[in-house]
Amino acid sequence: MLLLKLIQSLIQTLHSEGTPGQVAAGLVLGSILGLTPLLSLHNVVVVGLIVILNVSIPGALLGWALCIPAGFLLDPLFDAIGRGLLLGTPALRPLWTALYNAPVAPLSGFNNTVVLGSLVSSLALGVPLFLAARWGVTRYRATVAERLKRSALYRAVSASKLYNLYRLLRPEP
Amino acid sequence: MRVFRWKAIVPLLLLGAVGAGLWLVFADRIAKHTTESVGTTFIGARVEIDRLHLDVPHGRVEIRGLTVASPFEALQNLLQADLLVADVEPLPLLEKKVVIDRLAATGLRFGTPRLTDGRTAEQSDGLKGQITKWGEQLRVPALQLATGKISVAQLDPTQLNTPRLATALAGRADSARQAWEAGLTGLGTEAAIDSGARMVERLKGAKLTDVKLLGDARRTLDQLKRAQERVTALERSVTSGISALQPDAAGLTDARQRDYAIARGLLQLPGLDAPDIGAALFGAAAVDRFQRALYWVQLGRRYMPPGLLPRATPGPRRIRRAGTTVHFPRVNEAPAFLLKTAELSLSVASRTYAARVSGVTSDPTLYGRPAQASGTAPGFRLAALFDHVRPTPRDTAAASLVGVALPSLPLPGLPMHLEPGAGTVGLNFAMQGDRVRARWTVTSDRVRWVRDSAGAGSAVGDLVWRTVSGISTLQMSASLAGTLDRPELAVSSNLDRAIAERLRAMAGAEVATAERRMRAQVDSLVDGPVNAVRAQIATLGGDVTKRLGAQRARLDEARRALEQRLPGLRLP
Repeated sequence: MLLLKLIQSLIQTLHSEGTPGQVAAGLVLGSILGLTPLLSLHNVVVVGLIVILNVSIPGALLGWALCIPAGFLLDPLFDAIGRGLLLGTPALRPLWTALYNAPVAPLSGFNNTVVLGSLVSSLALGVPLFLAARWGVTRYRATVAERLKRSALYRAVSASKLYNLYRLLRPEP
Repeated sequence: MRVFRWKAIVPLLLLGAVGAGLWLVFADRIAKHTTESVGTTFIGARVEIDRLHLDVPHGRVEIRGLTVASPFEALQNLLQADLLVADVEPLPLLEKKVVIDRLAATGLRFGTPRLTDGRTAEQSDGLKGQITKWGEQLRVPALQLATGKISVAQLDPTQLNTPRLATALAGRADSARQAWEAGLTGLGTEAAIDSGARMVERLKGAKLTDVKLLGDARRTLDQLKRAQERVTALERSVTSGISALQPDAAGLTDARQRDYAIARGLLQLPGLDAPDIGAALFGAAAVDRFQRALYWVQLGRRYMPPGLLPRATPGPRRIRRAGTTVHFPRVNEAPAFLLKTAELSLSVASRTYAARVSGVTSDPTLYGRPAQASGTAPGFRLAALFDHVRPTPRDTAAASLVGVALPSLPLPGLPMHLEPGAGTVGLNFAMQGDRVRARWTVTSDRVRWVRDSAGAGSAVGDLVWRTVSGISTLQMSASLAGTLDRPELAVSSNLDRAIAERLRAMAGAEVATAERRMRAQVDSLVDGPVNAVRAQIATLGGDVTKRLGAQRARLDEARRALEQRLPGLRLP
């Protein structure tokens, strides 16, 4: 069921009326939600950006859904990256000390190795992911999309309730 | 294309408002859960709260029904508190720092029972395991005589000298016998005797002028003479050989004595000196107290470390990996946690006492003052100072209670326990760096000895019971000194000498019996080979000597017969 919804979301996202850039931006923001521990202060900001900025919300949901398992799998790597940044890089220590003793910043949990490692990694992956997603959506729409639109599967997906929900949230042209 | 989705602003604000409303509704629960989780991680045992209320406008936190399980006992609480009220400074909360100006705790009770095991698997980040290991090096063996038997290790026959020496001696005797038999065969006495006999026959009726015959007779006589010399030489060899074997055979007796000594070394006799008895009786209880004191001191050092270097602690529990949370203290900033003062109303042994705690902080260097605890009341004294401001931490604590009902003391290995009754208990613990000095004392003049019905009866158990059951006073003192790596425990009590003397008397008979048993075991392994080799040597000497004597007699006879025929050819 979950897999079906994921496929549905993928197809609808790729066929949405948003530009490839909007879909890619949504994917990037959603990937931050998926790669980093969800209950973190920075994710409130990310959710706000997804809602406020004119990005593809289905794209963000897709990015989130795809990156949750990746986040779990990559936690050891994030832990190591965060440890390296927090404890293994003396040059950054003044920055962390300043942030740690500043208002609000400590509430983000930046001083946790997994939070920092995953956030830095997802931000670093943001630009390549955006470019790759935009190129991929463009190529997809130019080659496969029209054929798929005529398929029975697509028609079934388009007729579902989720698609109707998506239509409410689709990016503005 | 527009960058902002303006129509989403209002829903977003509504979402924010709903979020804030939910937080207000669930803040108490979230804070309760967080406090329980952090407390459980910190203590190494379950922390439970009945109700927690955040009074944000007044900066106040109320905790009702706090229960902290004991990290040591499965079904016991470390403490319970009816009510804790904390005045919290609001501004540091924005920096995720908790500064409590004043904490009032009422209805504190210690050591109350609980229904479930409150110890957690993490055991306070492995500290419990380290403390357990540390205590193992101080463990004193229970009084072994309490079983009524002296433990005897298995006697390994290969450890014994006598059978090995006997076997070697038998080998040498056998080699000597073979050599002598070969020598006997190679003597050529039969040929010489036969030649002598034939020459005597030839000389019968012979003329003295027959020079050739006389020459042959002289050579035959020489042949007999040389045969006699060879017999003499072999006799000497046999005699000296047997003489050489005899001391070794006699040495087997000494070897047996040495084997007795080896066997005696396998008797595992308990120490029967008075200090050993004291350690055997109260050592385990003392180590237990010292372990607990050390646990709290080490926990304090772990979470209240000196210095301003970044410090790593385990991250929060969540579905994702917890990771490590790193703290970056900075001079002139607030510590991550600070309890300025706490007024405690505690109940011990049905009496109510007051105590005060101050300066408990996660960053003692920032706060600049040591954490202190104090409490005085009639019959109660508590003073503690945890100075982690300087690089070398210094922790001292002293507590004493007078006239309270003391908990019972089990006596390891003995079918009885001690009910000290109302008495005085004191514990001093000081640790500077890794040097530790501690003392635990218990005194009572109304002790009661209780025989455990479940314990198996034994001669020593009965003896100890007879010795101590008439003693109504107890003065026990246990002290610990040295470094954490090499601690030394000493325990003494007024019971030690009395029990030691009685046990020594009883142990004398027990030891003699055990030694007889060990000697019999040695004899059973040694007798066989020793008797065999002795018989072999005795037979060996007699047989060879007898055969040599017979050959010498025949040679003498043959020579005499030949010399009688040749009176003029007497040998020089």
